[in-house]
Amino acid sequence: MSRQTINSIEKERYTPSLPLAIALARYFDRSVEEIFHVDH
Amino acid sequence: MSTTDRIFHSRWWLPAVSLVLGAIMLAAFAIGGNTSDGLQAFAVMAGVAALFAFGASRSETLGGLGGPGRDERWAMIDLRASALAGFVLITVVIGAWLYEIANGEDGSPYAQLGAIAGLAYIVGLVIGRARG
Repeated sequence: MSRQTINSIEKERYTPSLPLAIALARYFDRSVEEIFHVDH
Repeated sequence: MSTTDRIFHSRWWLPAVSLVLGAIMLAAFAIGGNTSDGLQAFAVMAGVAALFAFGASRSETLGGLGGPGRDERWAMIDLRASALAGFVLITVVIGAWLYEIANGEDGSPYAQLGAIAGLAYIVGLVIGRARG
């Protein structure tokens, strides 16, 4: 994953796919819900 | 990573494609009797190949477009850009066809190009639907 993609995710300009979101959550030893929030 | 993924993520994939396209252009120009323009076209494509081969490690944009730095976000950007280019091209083809028709011409080759584009879209829908 590129630095630009990480930056875009942090700035909420890009929503990662489910596999990527799960991989990120596992990397940080957190649940997906703790890292990503969905605004309704 | 599968073998296919390794090929597409290789830093040499896009440069190799660029050189092959340049060679095809050179051959086409040469067959048409215009080798000098063919050499210019090959030189341009060789420049593109060099840009991606040696620029990808220095630029995340080139890396994302060229292969080594390609992740899901770059794949989505590429897909959307391709869709936009296709949409614009089809619009221009239809516009050119209508212009030809309005001028009393038969609309060739724009009618055929538009038909190919329409069929390609239908094939894309069928494949996309089959894959779920």
